[in-house]
Formats: sequence, structure tokens, C-alpha cells
Amino acid sequence: MPIYSKVELENMNVKNQLKPMAVKMGLPGYSKKTKAVVISAILEKQGAAKAAKAPKSATASIAPAAAKKAMNAIEFCATSVLTKPSAKKGDKCTTTIRVSSGASSGNFPVAGRSVAEVAEFLREVLNIQKMSPGLVNGKDVEGTYILKDGDELEFLKPAGSKG
Amino acid sequence: MNIKIIGLGGVGSILIERLCRFLNYSQVDTSFVVTLIDGDEYEDKNLERQEFTRLGDKAEIKANDLKIKYLNLNIDYIIDYINTDTISRGISEKDIVFLCVDNHKTRMVVSNYCKTLNDVILISGGNELTDGNVQIYIRKGGVDITPDLCAYHSEIATPTDRSPDEMSCEELSKSEPQLYFTNLSVATIMCWAYYNVVVQQNIDASEIYFDMSRMSVDAKTRIVK
Repeated sequence: MPIYSKVELENMNVKNQLKPMAVKMGLPGYSKKTKAVVISAILEKQGAAKAAKAPKSATASIAPAAAKKAMNAIEFCATSVLTKPSAKKGDKCTTTIRVSSGASSGNFPVAGRSVAEVAEFLREVLNIQKMSPGLVNGKDVEGTYILKDGDELEFLKPAGSKG
Repeated sequence: MNIKIIGLGGVGSILIERLCRFLNYSQVDTSFVVTLIDGDEYEDKNLERQEFTRLGDKAEIKANDLKIKYLNLNIDYIIDYINTDTISRGISEKDIVFLCVDNHKTRMVVSNYCKTLNDVILISGGNELTDGNVQIYIRKGGVDITPDLCAYHSEIATPTDRSPDEMSCEELSKSEPQLYFTNLSVATIMCWAYYNVVVQQNIDASEIYFDMSRMSVDAKTRIVK
């Protein structure tokens, strides 16, 4: 398959040219993406293909696994909020963690806090019941557990008793 | 596959009407039996939340009314409360069970019994005044696909309440206030659960919470312990 420059790709039609090209290149999941996202994926794939074809160099031995198998897509969810607008670039935002209790939930900047602290802090906001056990990423944790980026915290709400 | 509805109070009496309408008019094979199970009687005090046409045994009245309305369905009833002695008469292998009772003791008994079966789908709902939840317990080939009702709910695993057949008439006559809209929400979410799990074969969520006063709903995916 020929290698296209970014400008050449930008001049192509997203539906009739770019998306079929992405499929041919083995890039699934781009049928509903924007033109910019599809172009970026194609360029990345072309770069990986070029690297695979290139003669072995000193750097090639550093990441042989990456050269053998190009990454097609990454699926992840991260949320951040602007907490320090005056800070230098890269330090302005704080990663937030999804905290829920029953039907109430929200994203809060609580990474680095213990589960017990968060329960106390968000008790009224999320209607968290006292003694409600915490689950981090679905697993039982103690109140002393310190939350990390990427964690999801749930305070178990008792089941409804009536009917 | 047969369908069992246990409990015909505020949630069950609303749910059964919607479920039977869906089953009767959808393109599903209707060779199964829908069995209504409740040992309680419908009284005047239930009028504001429960849908019945006359006084008497809830299971019998509702089953007879539904038989007239939904001619494609085989509808049966059992006038009894579910407890450890009666449960084997109420639930069998491959059943789809809608649990709409008003106490955790019965939820615990039903969940533990379903755990002894190979294939069963249990959809259980409950509520407080303005909020509630629906749990989906699926067992396939003797393996839990989603957690049982007790796994994440110690209040169900070790209930402090009692089932209706263990309570005195005085205790039964005292009931905490409930809202028709909250019962309706539980019944609706139980219908969502049925549609997703049975019709669409989609088991992304195993517990759904709602809170009417906050106008919010949240579905949880839980790990089988």
C-alpha cells in the first residue's frame, strides 16, 4: 500500500477514501470517527509499517515487540478537571476518579485520598450511608486504601427492602 | 422455560400486567407457563398502590383477570408464601423468576435456592420511599454468571426482617409508607432487565439503582465473588 503524507490524506474524502483505507490497513473501529482521528490513525499505522520495513538499527533492538506488532487502537477512559489554571503547562489539571453510591455518582479529584476520607467528604453529595463498604474497581477495600489514577470507587448502598 | 412472579404487592401487581402484555403480543413462543405466587389477600388499604379488580387472594384474582385479557398465555397461580418449605414447589430449573417481595428474608431464601439450581434467571426488585434497586442473578450450567443477591448485600445475606408468614396480623397491618411511582419505577426497571437479559441476551449490568428524588439511574457491573 502506498504511503501518503498528511496533506494528501487531508485532501481525501473521509467516507469514500479514508475509512475504506483504514479498514484495508487493519484499523477497525473508525467508521464513526472524525476525519482528523482517522488521518491520525492512518499516519500512525504508516509510521509503524515504515519502521517495520526499515533496516535494523541500534534502536530497533530496544522495542522489538512494538516493531513486530503495531498497536491499532487504545481504549481507555480518563477524566480530568482544571484545578490549577495558573500552574505551568502540564500541571493545570488533576485526574478525577468516578465515585458512586446507589444511583448517585460523579467525578472528583480524590486521587491520593483514602476511601474513608472520601466517604466523609462526599457523604451528603452522594448520599453515602454510614458504614457503607467501599469497592474499588469492584473489589472490597479497607477504608485506609489510597485511591490511585484509574480507580473507580463505589460505596455499596443497601438493597431496597419494600416492594 | 417458565416464568414465576413471586409477590404481587406494589411492584408485582404493576409488573405482571406489563410483562403479560409484552409476552402476549410479542413474537415469542408462548408455550411456557406464567405462574403468580403470593399468599396475601388484596384489601382496601392496598388501593393506592396495587392494581386489582376485586378483594380476595391476590394470586387467584390477578391470574384470572390476566387469563381473560391475554389469551395467548398459559397463566397459573399458587396461593402461598415462599419460604424454605414451599420454595421447591415455586421455582424449578430454567425458570425466569421475578422476585417482587417486601422483605429481605424471602430474598435470601430465593437467592440461596437458585444457587442450588443449574440454570435460572432471577430478577429481584426492592424499594424504599423514593429510591430502590433491581438485581439480576444469572446461573448457567451450574455456574454464577452474575453475583447472587447476597454477594454484595449483607442486609440480604443476614436479614433482620421476617417473611410475611412469620409475622402476626398486627405486624402485617403496620406497613411503612410507600409511593406508587417508586413501585412503578422498580417494575419498569425489572422489565428493562428482562428485555436485556432474556430478549437481547445482554448481561452488561447486574444491579441497577434508581433515585426518584435525584432523578437518576445507575447500572453496576459486579464481579462474581
